[in-house]
Amino acid sequence: MKSRKKYNEPVTVILLAGAAVFIFLPLYMTLVVAVKDTSQMQHILSFPKSIHLENFVNAWEMTDYPRKFFNTAFITIVNVIATLLTNSFAAYAISRNRRKSKFFSVLYYYFISALFIPFHVIMLPLVVQANTFHLDNIVGITFLYVIFGMPMNTFIYCGAIRQIPEALDEAAMIDGASPLQVFWYVIFPVLKPTTATVAILSVMWTWNDFTMPLILLSDQDQQTLQLSQYVFQGQFSTNYNLAFASYTLVLIPILVIYLFAQKKIMNGVVAGAVK
Amino acid sequence: MKAKHWKVNPVYYIGVGIMAILFFTFHTVPFLKGVFYSFTDWKGFGDWNFVGLKNYGVVFSNKDILSAYFFTFKFALVSTILVNIVSLFLACGLSANVRFKSFLRGVYFLPYMLGMLIVGFVFNFIFGNLIPELGRAVKSDALSTNILGSSHAFWAIVFVTIWAGCAFDTLIYMAGLQAIDKEIYEAAALDGAIGWKRFIRVTFPLLAPSFTINMVLSVKSYLMVYDQIMAMTGGGPGKSTTSIAVMIYKQGLGHGQFAVQTANAVVLFIVVVVISVFQLRVLEKREEKVG
Amino acid sequence: MKKKAFVALVSAMICTVSVFGMTGCKGSNSNEVEFFSSKSENAQIMKKLVDQFNKEHAKEGVKVVLNTPADAGTVLKTRLTKNDIPDIIAYGGDQTYTELESAGVLKDLSQESYMNSVSDQYMQMVYDVQKDREKTAYAVPYATNASGVIYNVDKFKELGLKIPKTWDEFEEVIRRIEDAGGQPFEYAFKDDWTLLPPWNSMAPDLAPETFYDERLAGKTTFESTHKEIADKYLELLKHGQKDIMGTGYDDANKAFANGDAYMLINGNWAISEIKKNNPDIHLDMFALPASNDESKNYVTSGVDVLLCASAKTKHPKIVKEFLEFMMKPENNQKYIDDQFAFSPINGVEQKDETVASAQKDIEKGKVANFPDHYYPSGYDLASILSEYAMNYSTGMKDEENTKEFLKNLDTQYDAVNNK
Repeated sequence: MKSRKKYNEPVTVILLAGAAVFIFLPLYMTLVVAVKDTSQMQHILSFPKSIHLENFVNAWEMTDYPRKFFNTAFITIVNVIATLLTNSFAAYAISRNRRKSKFFSVLYYYFISALFIPFHVIMLPLVVQANTFHLDNIVGITFLYVIFGMPMNTFIYCGAIRQIPEALDEAAMIDGASPLQVFWYVIFPVLKPTTATVAILSVMWTWNDFTMPLILLSDQDQQTLQLSQYVFQGQFSTNYNLAFASYTLVLIPILVIYLFAQKKIMNGVVAGAVK
Repeated sequence: MKAKHWKVNPVYYIGVGIMAILFFTFHTVPFLKGVFYSFTDWKGFGDWNFVGLKNYGVVFSNKDILSAYFFTFKFALVSTILVNIVSLFLACGLSANVRFKSFLRGVYFLPYMLGMLIVGFVFNFIFGNLIPELGRAVKSDALSTNILGSSHAFWAIVFVTIWAGCAFDTLIYMAGLQAIDKEIYEAAALDGAIGWKRFIRVTFPLLAPSFTINMVLSVKSYLMVYDQIMAMTGGGPGKSTTSIAVMIYKQGLGHGQFAVQTANAVVLFIVVVVISVFQLRVLEKREEKVG
Repeated sequence: MKKKAFVALVSAMICTVSVFGMTGCKGSNSNEVEFFSSKSENAQIMKKLVDQFNKEHAKEGVKVVLNTPADAGTVLKTRLTKNDIPDIIAYGGDQTYTELESAGVLKDLSQESYMNSVSDQYMQMVYDVQKDREKTAYAVPYATNASGVIYNVDKFKELGLKIPKTWDEFEEVIRRIEDAGGQPFEYAFKDDWTLLPPWNSMAPDLAPETFYDERLAGKTTFESTHKEIADKYLELLKHGQKDIMGTGYDDANKAFANGDAYMLINGNWAISEIKKNNPDIHLDMFALPASNDESKNYVTSGVDVLLCASAKTKHPKIVKEFLEFMMKPENNQKYIDDQFAFSPINGVEQKDETVASAQKDIEKGKVANFPDHYYPSGYDLASILSEYAMNYSTGMKDEENTKEFLKNLDTQYDAVNNK
């Protein structure tokens, strides 16, 4: 059927032009500025006459990239694992027992209503709280991400678990499985697509977050890639080449991931929102 | 049997209980503390006294705070509308029978992947250096000044928000379009509804669920606009692009207004709840009518 | 099988929770001493000094680590709220220091050996910004600055211009530059703190001497005393580049270094930045002559960098040694030379011709402290000035704009003045 229909050429052209101007031009500019030196900045968009990869080396050293990369990766990976393990079971427990016990029903509404509390509302007291519990380091912030993800993840997981017939649980129970076994061997595998969604959303959130690191991570050894770009803004000064080399270094990992997992990511995000 | 003593297996209680206790300690307690601080004159450190409703009085009378609210509302409204319009068009275009479809879809979703802070820095450079360079080349006065230093800085921030925000909304609309049964189009075509008419009468109403999701999520996130402003204007010129979130951070921590800004945060919370509930009500009703 | 799954899941949960729990005990890296510095301009020279110190003290196994974040004031106050005070702090002698000092977290440095070599005049400026003007040395001034007009010597020579001594002469200089088709000033108002130097350079010349105390007591207003300053401020705005609101500090320094403008109203701290862009440029600096009474045209000079230390540091010995190291005349000289700054340490002199004119005034003691150091904490003068400049650039009538600005100065002042 598709081959019979003609391609819609005008729309194709408009979309291609839009992509070129609005998406590729800024990316091209970022890359070009990152490899030029200051003497080539008279015409920002002109093709570089010589490539200056030392910008990347300098940015790498100046911002202590490996350290910041490790921190960001640590936060992202540990958060995803901990989130998937804890939040999914909690959501499962809530979803299956909501009608049986008031306790779970109340908790469901408790978590869902927390969705309405924007981060900035608790920001100032959180700064104080962070001191009491020594949370101003990468481990502490990861812990907070796991906790703060609860409302959204409860919402997404509960939506998915509702679709799974309870007969499945009951059958396993009759065979003598404990609740954790039922969850781990029966429910969790069925939830795979939802788990993918939660994982993607968590990764995107923690990798790109700037606000929470800004207020919590003051020690330079503990800072993330995003935050280090802000911290070094003053020292980049008008050396835009250095600054853009640094931005590029931060963008590359996420672009690589996107290149390989684009379909999965897009499907995951849709699934999360439509639930 | 164990199950006799417990209506629900205790493992469930433990699993949820731990999370609930932690969530309460690190999310709800700070929130309640914030409400408490808002009745004091605490600076974030040192001594404090109760001051009653004084901080709330300041929130409702301080010119800067009120103008931050005005900016934020205007921004959320304008951005939500524009992002949704642009996304609708993009989604329709990307769902049409175009060449390089999956490539184009991938490209238009790319901005979603990039951190808002760096996007802000890149556009800061575009507005401050690239566009003025082009402006000088074409001898245009308007283009050769940095829009971020003008009274139009608002629009520059809206632009960047659209740039980054469309990816998500477009994706949701595309999913919505995919779910529409082809037969409905054929029936509509028989009734003479094609092109623009078809979009208004058939497509758009059927996109109601996607529309609801986008509206609710957009408004909430744009009310909290923060990263792009910190990256581009820091709230200036003057205080003209200071959003509530930026104000809470800058004034609350940087300018010794800790208590006043916690009061501001409480007010913000109430505002967000009211808007969200209102939105859900209206949009759900609309969906019902259509459905 | 049953047990295995149960144990696996529970232990996973316990693991995550306990790993998080343990961090409670683990602070930041324990053999590092943090040196928090607020200025990005001096990051390079500070780094050099820190490296040298670390080399000399390699045996002790403790390293000093420099931290220079953007928006340092907010970051420092956030950390004050978290009760997470850096071991050593280099900051300006302003309201943020006042808050830091009044929180009672700083170490008393009175008994340190280097205190004897510090000039009384600048030590007094530190006392002035302490809570209740307490005379205990919680900080030591490290570098002092001068705010005024930086000018391009070669471009002045081309037109045969001389350093103006009075406001009339200043206006004459501006007129002659414009007649020759030049651009008198380069402004950087996208970064709103750059609106402060012109204000700080003019206000001490023109405001009544008793103003700060009287304003604090509510006995006078900006409206009744600062009209002339506001008018002259606005006058200066009219002679900048076209895009005064859209140019940032770094871009303005670059443009000035490339010879786009004749003058830049900022402070000595900008000189090293300008020279980075053009090492061969000839610069000098003079006091902004806001008054026609020559004797009143002070150089605005204050404590640009002071050093202080946390009272609760885990490494008091290293902190003490580091401060002693920094205060050594030869090390202070390195800093002063690199930054074109002035020294509060007796015997360390700024000899560079780039700031010769300002240095002369400072030697004569013709200096006034920064007026904004006396305004209450939380008084956001920069953003009030930014609004003033913004209204000008969008074409508001001068008279109306000035009136609104003066009123705004007072209402904002009253909003933060709790006395």
